[in-house]
Amino acid sequence: MIQVGLLTELQKDELVGQLYAPDSYFNPIQDINDNWVISQEEMYNNENELVAWVKDLPLIDFEPKPSPFPPTE
Amino acid sequence: MYLINSFRFGGGAPAVDPDAQAFITAASITDPTQQSAIDTLVTDLKGYGIWTKTKAIYPFVGGTASSHKFNLKDPQDTDAAFRLTFSGGWTHSVNGVQGNLTNAFADTYLVPSTNLVTDNHVSIYLNTLFTSGSSPYNIGAYNAVTQALAIRTMGTFDNSSRTYNYSQIDIANTIGNTAGFWLNNIISSNHRQLRNNVLRSSATKTGTVPTQKVYLGALNLNGTASLFTNQRIALSTIGDNLTATEEGNLYTAVQAFNTTLSRQV
Repeated sequence: MIQVGLLTELQKDELVGQLYAPDSYFNPIQDINDNWVISQEEMYNNENELVAWVKDLPLIDFEPKPSPFPPTE
Repeated sequence: MYLINSFRFGGGAPAVDPDAQAFITAASITDPTQQSAIDTLVTDLKGYGIWTKTKAIYPFVGGTASSHKFNLKDPQDTDAAFRLTFSGGWTHSVNGVQGNLTNAFADTYLVPSTNLVTDNHVSIYLNTLFTSGSSPYNIGAYNAVTQALAIRTMGTFDNSSRTYNYSQIDIANTIGNTAGFWLNNIISSNHRQLRNNVLRSSATKTGTVPTQKVYLGALNLNGTASLFTNQRIALSTIGDNLTATEEGNLYTAVQAFNTTLSRQV
């Protein structure tokens, strides 16, 4: 099971539009329970000192939202 | 005579194609093998007449996001040049770019309805296998089932690969190998799906050109990155449609390029 870092709504807002490494932007997404999360790659490769706290985010199992496609699409 | 063939303009150092040099400079490629591979790729594509048919070529050389973001066709650091913007958890290496099945995608800024002629091609070279995910897309722009441009190598819910150009082709995955060079092309109103230059299926083209931007590593589903993959991408091209001969020549050039970089499959 893939694990991801759990964000609060305020933390999500702080990361949107921010770089975590050169030419690499954070991309917070919502899981099946509408939790805001980021990947471990973003957490552990972060070079942005303004959001250094991302490395300490609690990890949760990633449960993606269901596929938006029916099987015929 | 041999010297003249090896050194295109004679004299000391070998001449590098100016388009290749522009990319090498922009992407800060210092490794001689990588520089040579880029130069050969450009000269091969020009020799085959494919260069002018492409709008974007992402060779993923250099090993970092800052080198991988550049479009070989126009290596300017602008959206209008179709320079990639990476979002989410990508892993960059000398072998290409790899998403994470979670949130990694790259925006090409290329809109098929604006930037491509009616018939077009999309290709992607994948040098790792599909491992998991219900329906991950490697590249794509999607408005509707008859208005999309996309490649998916595998879907676990229907055990099929899928391409859109602009309508949909599904192919049961009897090959057991999702790595390789996947090409989505149109010839004489037929939508064709090829892997390693072997035609897997074709169908009469229907549908309309999508208005969404093309994303790499995921599907741009009406403006939202969705259905993320984790297959590693070693190269991708987007452009006008190719002839059958050009389909084969593109595969030859791309395979030679990745072989030079020791990352072929």
